[in-house]
Amino acid sequence: MILMIRPDTWNLPVLVHVAGAMALVASVTVVAVVFVTGWRTSDPGAAAALQRFGARTLLFAVLPSFLVMRIGAEWALSKENLSNSNASWIGIGFGVADFGGLLMLIAIIIANIGARRAREGGMSVLTKIATAISLLLLVGYVIAIWAMTSKPS
Amino acid sequence: MSYGTLLFLHVLSAFALVTSVGMLVAIALALRGGRYTGAASSLVPLAGVLAPIGGLGTIIFGIWLAVHVSGYSLTNGWIIAAIVLWFVGLGLGGQIGAGYRRARADGTLAVDSTTLMTHLLLVLIVAAILIDMIYKPGAS
Repeated sequence: MILMIRPDTWNLPVLVHVAGAMALVASVTVVAVVFVTGWRTSDPGAAAALQRFGARTLLFAVLPSFLVMRIGAEWALSKENLSNSNASWIGIGFGVADFGGLLMLIAIIIANIGARRAREGGMSVLTKIATAISLLLLVGYVIAIWAMTSKPS
Repeated sequence: MSYGTLLFLHVLSAFALVTSVGMLVAIALALRGGRYTGAASSLVPLAGVLAPIGGLGTIIFGIWLAVHVSGYSLTNGWIIAAIVLWFVGLGLGGQIGAGYRRARADGTLAVDSTTLMTHLLLVLIVAAILIDMIYKPGAS
């Protein structure tokens, strides 16, 4: 395998994209763990607190990380003149990012509604759906990491 | 093992490592107000699993890549810098993680200003490794 060094002008967009992606995976993992714990606990008060923490993490960590990752991706593609590329690894990345972004927005809305309803006690159905979405997002992100690094043709 | 597979495993490990650091930061933030001790407590076990898996995977597959790819060498300045930063991060992360595991076992999970500073330092170290890996200073 020969050494591959990218031009210096590509580095900053790639850094922004990768840093955003790492923050996104970390924050979605936090949400998934907190929601799963809330789902499993029998204490309604603890479940309500876990739902609030997860819903806030979605809003204040997952959403900004997603935006940084997605803006970084567009910036990197334009620098590398790949905006109109049909490469499958780019297609997989866009698919996971955009479909995942839609799911993420749904999760943010329903988790925050669910967290308000949780004051009445226990884990709300809406937060359970957001839990499933967060786990699904993590699977999608592993596929995206594979596509970005292995670059299938 | 192919370059693509090695790079995937190296980067996946890096994501696991950064996720463990993110979870440590989330624990600190959850503990700061004292309202989310349950959330903090729920994050400790997985952070404790992801940190060694991500840490070991990053260094093992990273060194493997450096040996596998012609043009990379373990004596390159940017690779030595990454390894040194990795060890510094390992020390800081281990210190924070052990503190949380002990406090969770004792039922005394809390965060003080020194622990917050250690978190900040760890985040800076991880950011420095990421910048080093992407810019590869000195590589030609």
